[in-house]
Amino acid sequence: MNIRPGKEFLSQPYWRHLAEGTLHLNSCNDCGSSHHPPSPLCPKCHSFNTGWKPASGKGTLNSFSVIRHAVHPSLADKVPYIITLVDLEEGVRLVSGIPAGMDVDLEVGMPLECKVVKIDDEFALPYFVPVEND
Amino acid sequence: MKTSIIGIGQTEFSTHSGRSELQLALEAILSALKDAGLEVNDIDGLVRYTWDNTTEAAIVNALGLPRLKYYGETEFGGVNCCGAIAQASAAIEAGLASCVVFYRALNARSGVRFGRGERILVEEGEHVVCHQPEPPGDIYSAPFGLLVPGQHHALYAQSYKGHYGLSDDAFAHMLGSVAVTQRGYANNNPRALLRDKKMTMDDYRNARVISEPLRIFDYCLETDGAMAIVLVSRERARQMNVKAVDILAAEQYIHPGSVPMFLYAKKTYSLVPEEAGDILFGKAQMSPSDIDVAMIYDATSMMVPLALEDFGFIGRGEAHDFLTSGGNAIDGNLPINTHGGLLSEGYFHGLNTIAEGVRQLRGESPNQVDAETVFMTLRGASSMIMGRA
Repeated sequence: MNIRPGKEFLSQPYWRHLAEGTLHLNSCNDCGSSHHPPSPLCPKCHSFNTGWKPASGKGTLNSFSVIRHAVHPSLADKVPYIITLVDLEEGVRLVSGIPAGMDVDLEVGMPLECKVVKIDDEFALPYFVPVEND
Repeated sequence: MKTSIIGIGQTEFSTHSGRSELQLALEAILSALKDAGLEVNDIDGLVRYTWDNTTEAAIVNALGLPRLKYYGETEFGGVNCCGAIAQASAAIEAGLASCVVFYRALNARSGVRFGRGERILVEEGEHVVCHQPEPPGDIYSAPFGLLVPGQHHALYAQSYKGHYGLSDDAFAHMLGSVAVTQRGYANNNPRALLRDKKMTMDDYRNARVISEPLRIFDYCLETDGAMAIVLVSRERARQMNVKAVDILAAEQYIHPGSVPMFLYAKKTYSLVPEEAGDILFGKAQMSPSDIDVAMIYDATSMMVPLALEDFGFIGRGEAHDFLTSGGNAIDGNLPINTHGGLLSEGYFHGLNTIAEGVRQLRGESPNQVDAETVFMTLRGASSMIMGRA
């Protein structure tokens, strides 16, 4: 079972964009800065003229934890799993994680890129994974 | 501040109180009044956390109070413990009330547990759903399995470990030094939940990992019970025949992204605004070197190194050396959490942390230090300095 936001949230732009496959950030149409979590007011220039723009998907790992203890029955068959804090190049931070089954060697400060993982038609999550070296 | 704590009272710490939170609150309030030598009708102010399930109305009605001239609420749980003291003090200094009780009652083990996701999640058909807009366990973090405060603390810990490049072994030695030292304090404390459980550094290192890099002994105890603290003006305290402890300075603060759970704060290896220490020590006209003993809200052991560095007791990155060399021990430079802390005594959302500071200044601690000043902080949201009257 997946944990998901309530329908009242999934109908909002942040989650709708993800369900359509892309990470968008709440951004100010006047000064251009991005914010997260979304807010009606730009915290930089105090304009209410805010909207949405696609994120570059590039970020760095601020912190992470391998969760070994399931704090809810729905997570019993998911441990161990990895949660992360990611600093995006737009200057915002997102809570994220590493997709189940992916073998990674994490280090604070390493570059990551967004991988939107579709759960179903209504719901997708912005995971961040190590950048592949080609 | 020109106020004093003149009474502390509590129920026992337990994992199953068998009583309602209202009853626990009332027991603690009556116990604190007895300690202060006051009657029920002397109370004319109340301060509570918004997270408490009991209300001012329930307390007033149960006590049969003829009047309550001031009631204040302070947001969040433990993080604003010193802020509640600041609020009570401000109310007294402003003349809104003359005797304020700050209390907290919780069945946090036998009732709703802060360490469990059930507090936040609901099952709706085939889905497990989160409706909570703010951390801990909000809609942006819950789907990744970040649900409870203890997991946030693991993120601060990993951030610190990565920022200062500490090895797994060095990091475990640092936090183990907090957990083992505090367990030793608890072993001398008849009130402590873990008074009979000894712990060695090997026990710590071999303990179950909960959320890397934190082990089970890095976490506070989910506890049932209640505590209450009575405050009056310093002037009035001097006229009473009580063991008073003075509030020298108390403050609360929020910086961008810092509350409720620091997920969006600029730094995750440092949890207070840069100037918070200077403001606090400035108000008390002191410096960190003047402090004799410290009480640091240890929801996890990680809060201890962070607070030591954030408030300038030691330099940035020096916590490992300070703690592993016994700096927090009874004969160290700064004995810390001499009751055993939230890790080993029990967890009344910081009120028992304040109470141990009061006991140190009254000469009643199970691990007594010759203390004239106590520093006390609740992570990044509030802090205070208390002094012997």
